[in-house]
Amino acid sequence: MKDNNYLNPYVAGVILGIALFVTFLIAGQGMGASGAIARSTAQIAYNIDPEIAKNAYAGKYLHSGNALINWTVIEVLGIFIGGLISALLAGRFKLELTRANGYPVIKRVAFAFLGGFILAAATRITRGCTSGQALDGASAFSVGSWIFMLAAFGAGFFVAFLFKKQWKGVE
Amino acid sequence: MDFIFPLFTTGMFDNSVNLFMGLLIGVMFGFILERAGFATSAHIAPIFYFRNVMVAKVMVSAIVTTSTLIMLGVLFGYIDYSKLFFPNTYLLPYLIGGAIFGIGMVMSGWCPGTAVAGVATGKIDALIFILGAMAGMYFYFGIYDSIADFVNSTNLGKFTIAQALGFEKDNVKVSYLVTLIASFGLLFFMLIMHKVAKNKGDE
Repeated sequence: MKDNNYLNPYVAGVILGIALFVTFLIAGQGMGASGAIARSTAQIAYNIDPEIAKNAYAGKYLHSGNALINWTVIEVLGIFIGGLISALLAGRFKLELTRANGYPVIKRVAFAFLGGFILAAATRITRGCTSGQALDGASAFSVGSWIFMLAAFGAGFFVAFLFKKQWKGVE
Repeated sequence: MDFIFPLFTTGMFDNSVNLFMGLLIGVMFGFILERAGFATSAHIAPIFYFRNVMVAKVMVSAIVTTSTLIMLGVLFGYIDYSKLFFPNTYLLPYLIGGAIFGIGMVMSGWCPGTAVAGVATGKIDALIFILGAMAGMYFYFGIYDSIADFVNSTNLGKFTIAQALGFEKDNVKVSYLVTLIASFGLLFFMLIMHKVAKNKGDE
């Protein structure tokens, strides 16, 4: 299924690039995403049981107060709002579970969850994801960002055959 | 005052203004991501089969645009390159962590930023991905002590492309040139593989 109401990818890239540059000019850092999920998790865990503040990793998000009062968390809240506005304006808001025709729902749900699980843990090892590493780091000439990008794409391509059925005909 | 930018790190405005700007910046990113077609796993997962390389076109154009502007800003003396934030390079952790990240991406069809935009547009798989990601973060907190040595190993600091080639760390001309070559090389590779995949599909 092709939706032709999307921006031309090269135009979209240039606009995204200018937005990223403006962000660097204002905040001194680029776009982030995974850090906001890590902080939200730490804050929710803290609200359930404050013991988490003693954790060597989660503790550093919590020792200066609420983990959610942070630039990346606020920015990610903005991503949600901006995505919603754009989808509503374009008439693209729709509840759906993307998968190949006839692919079992339970398997799709399991892979979405498990994929999110391992990917999230990996972002703590790599200090960022496609936003903070691939986009920001590569634009600011970091070697690590290219290592991250090539390792991620290389490994994804290497195991892609395992998930072929899930994505059959999806494009 | 020698440099004007970045405004926040050179002390032009305080933290609360910076947080408010963060919200506006996020809205802008969310809007652009959705317009570019990043808010659906149907556009992200097929990249691993070279069926749809739109995401690569957007990424490469964005990197080329931003790096061009950063390079010019530094050369003309408007930007203090030493104050731009980007993560340190941890060699082995990035290789291993990057590989796990890529496997998670083809498995789920999402990455963190696109999934947030995906949830906003009603994608159920994006919501499940985020729940899985939170579980994964919690798991990481638990195992951190036992893997901390590895995670913090092979730290090269803020390691720039110029530095890796034996030039000064802040030689943005060299870094930029290599970034251009790598970016267009990557795009060229993706376009060729896309063509090959398409021809295979036509048979």
